[in-house]
Amino acid sequence: MVEKSFEPLIAAFCCNWCAYAGADLAGTSRFEYPTNVRIIRVMCTGRVDSTFMLLALRLGADGVLVSGCHPGDCHYLRGNYMMERRLGYVKRIIELLGMEPERLRLEWISAGEGEKFSALIRDLVGTIKKIGPNPLKNGGIEAEYLMRKMDASIEALKSQRLRWVLGISQVGIKIDEARYKAVVDSIMHDEIERYMMILAMKEKGPLTVKEMSQITKLTPTQVMRHIIALRASGMIKEVGEREHQYTYAATV
Amino acid sequence: MRIGVFICHCGVNIGGVVNVPEVTEYAKTLPYVVHAEHNLYTCSEAGLAAINEAIKKHDLNRIVVAACTPRTHEPLFRLACKGAGLNPYIFEMANIREHCSWVHSYDPKGATEKAKDIIRMAVFRAALLEPQVEPEVEVKGSSLVIGAGVAGMTAALTLANQGFKVYLIEKEAELGGMTRKLFKIYPTLADSTEVVNTLIEVVRLHPNIEILTSTTLKEVSGYVGNFNVILTVPEGERKISVGTIIVASGSSIYIPPKGLYQYGIYNRVITQVELDKMLRDDTIGRPERVIMIQCVGARKGEIRHYDLAALPKSPTAELLRRILKARKEEGWPYCSRICCMNSIKNAILIKERSPKTDVVILFGDLRVYKEYEDFYRKARDLEVRFIRYIEEVPAEIMKVNEEKLNVMVYDALAGCEVTLTADWVVLSTPLIPTKDMVMLARMLKIPIGTDGFLMEAHLKMRPVDASVDGIFLAGTVTGPKDVPESIISGKAAAARAATLMMRKKVSAEAITAVVDRDLCIGCGLCEEICPYGAHRIEEGKSQVIEILCRGCGSCAAECPRRAISMRHYGDHQVMAQLKALLRPALTGAS
Repeated sequence: MVEKSFEPLIAAFCCNWCAYAGADLAGTSRFEYPTNVRIIRVMCTGRVDSTFMLLALRLGADGVLVSGCHPGDCHYLRGNYMMERRLGYVKRIIELLGMEPERLRLEWISAGEGEKFSALIRDLVGTIKKIGPNPLKNGGIEAEYLMRKMDASIEALKSQRLRWVLGISQVGIKIDEARYKAVVDSIMHDEIERYMMILAMKEKGPLTVKEMSQITKLTPTQVMRHIIALRASGMIKEVGEREHQYTYAATV
Repeated sequence: MRIGVFICHCGVNIGGVVNVPEVTEYAKTLPYVVHAEHNLYTCSEAGLAAINEAIKKHDLNRIVVAACTPRTHEPLFRLACKGAGLNPYIFEMANIREHCSWVHSYDPKGATEKAKDIIRMAVFRAALLEPQVEPEVEVKGSSLVIGAGVAGMTAALTLANQGFKVYLIEKEAELGGMTRKLFKIYPTLADSTEVVNTLIEVVRLHPNIEILTSTTLKEVSGYVGNFNVILTVPEGERKISVGTIIVASGSSIYIPPKGLYQYGIYNRVITQVELDKMLRDDTIGRPERVIMIQCVGARKGEIRHYDLAALPKSPTAELLRRILKARKEEGWPYCSRICCMNSIKNAILIKERSPKTDVVILFGDLRVYKEYEDFYRKARDLEVRFIRYIEEVPAEIMKVNEEKLNVMVYDALAGCEVTLTADWVVLSTPLIPTKDMVMLARMLKIPIGTDGFLMEAHLKMRPVDASVDGIFLAGTVTGPKDVPESIISGKAAAARAATLMMRKKVSAEAITAVVDRDLCIGCGLCEEICPYGAHRIEEGKSQVIEILCRGCGSCAAECPRRAISMRHYGDHQVMAQLKALLRPALTGAS
């Protein structure tokens, strides 16, 4: 349902010292660009939590830009590197959700690159126009399911387990990248699925395995596996019985 | 919550594009907004008085100014809030000039809608802002001056005379910088060595100045008031700690590549610096004719500010394309500011020694101003000749014999080509950034502008401040300057540094990390990732050392327990803007 003249809305997180200043310079130098971008100023892109990027898409942004100092130029030494790594994970989640990874863009802009900022916005608006509006805007069952999955992904990105695994890679511990990636992927999947279940229980009250399977589109076996883990960590508990099946409720 | 919104026309800068009255009416409809008004210039005395008055009249406790960039004007408006008895941190700025009217002049309707969004975002954020207390930092009463040219030495001397300890470092073995290599300085024709030597002597004798020659910067850490610097000195390394840093490391002179105007091929083609040396050594003799060519390697290169492919078809674009095609010659894009005067000065010096020598200056544009105009007239009175050439048709140099060259130039005013025989052809080349400028910029975290020089915090309003607190810029590090201008900037930088050091204390931004001790499990990730060592695990919980925290927020974005928040940039405060922005985007979204 692409509108006739689709004007994308893009949320941009810009660091105070480089990208925001670059956008200022674009203004001072009158380097025109389309009006589709709204800038949110942060001191450093290192501040941009993984949940911010995903929440922007969840709330309906058609594209998200995170822009900070060039590698090596970070006002806070390493904030941009940390954001870059974090953004990589969010991109994987976006792919996993079946959305276009181009909706999330990282670009380095220095305080002296007003023209580059202007060119970037023109290019980004063009890209998003090509791939179309945020699929959440389409409505219908598919959009509703995507919304559920995004909500669960945001919860997963807030969860201690995933944050810890992601955070540990920021501190330079020597790990085998391929193995690490596999572990992250499996944890990412697990957490997103578990939060889909938890959010469903929160929304609809106690649910049976069968009901959860229907809502989350997971197989009963997968649901059962998560129930065992969630019960063990005390995040859900059995609360009753329905049609000869236990019902579970979230405790968090 | 009582929010007041003040929307600035900025003359026609905003008001000429954005429909300010419409935006003001819109602002009045936003939650918690009890007052909205627009002013011609919110930053003017009248504008600030209006804020003050409205705060009292409407009992406002959150202020939003929609105007220009917070990077220049936030401090002023925060001060205004403070003046009206409010905490400066309840202030929020909506940038509807740099990020809106100035870049959307072709789309006033779109710009107006965008301005509304930007203001809505600011209002939502303002509603969640909290008063903050700024931690105070001690400022050490010592300064590091990088570079001992006229600017650096002047800055060092100015600070030393006020009683501050100054470390003056110079990468070369001798003090004096670029000026030492010159001969006479315009417009007074004073001997440059005399000017420099006097300065060197005073600097050397000053008890408060420690001179370190053949010394370079190795590492800089710390922050305003407390910089820790490691220097590479001939004996090895030396550590010092200073309160402020003045960067006066100067610039280089562009050396033309071999073959440009036959430079390096015919030894009678020289640069102005080489001419300076010949005049000083008096080896120039009594030549029949000397021809100087201006803008060699300057105002050249690509026109970076235009994306030619993106320009619509127009006569201007066509002209730009043509010029760009003609500009094959390598060089720097800017006007080097000093070459016109320098050439006129050397022309006068030649004329004074040898009145019969015909001195011809080939110029594109001649940039002389104020008292320098008299200097130019003096040159004309001495019969120095000026011929205007056009860039598209550069002069051609041909060899006649070992001592004579023919210069063929298109005289743009006469409209014909002329050929002149000269003994010497002198190329005026620009001042360019030094090779180590990029390294220096990285070390000090100062941005570099498109010209390759260090960038000031604000070209007009903070011309000697770097964008990093406690670091100041003097001399030609920010672009070409002549000797008086370098001295002025040296004194200005010293004054700015002294203002800080005189106060002994400076308040730092209150944007620091806060740990929720109930949520913290003492995992230590924050301690690991903090580049400043501001997190320390004590008794199983993270402790923030506020003075060390610079407020980047990486710890908050990484904390597995989400136990860390940033003052003034908490999750809820950042998210508020996102939610405000996207509120109309998706119906039913939380």
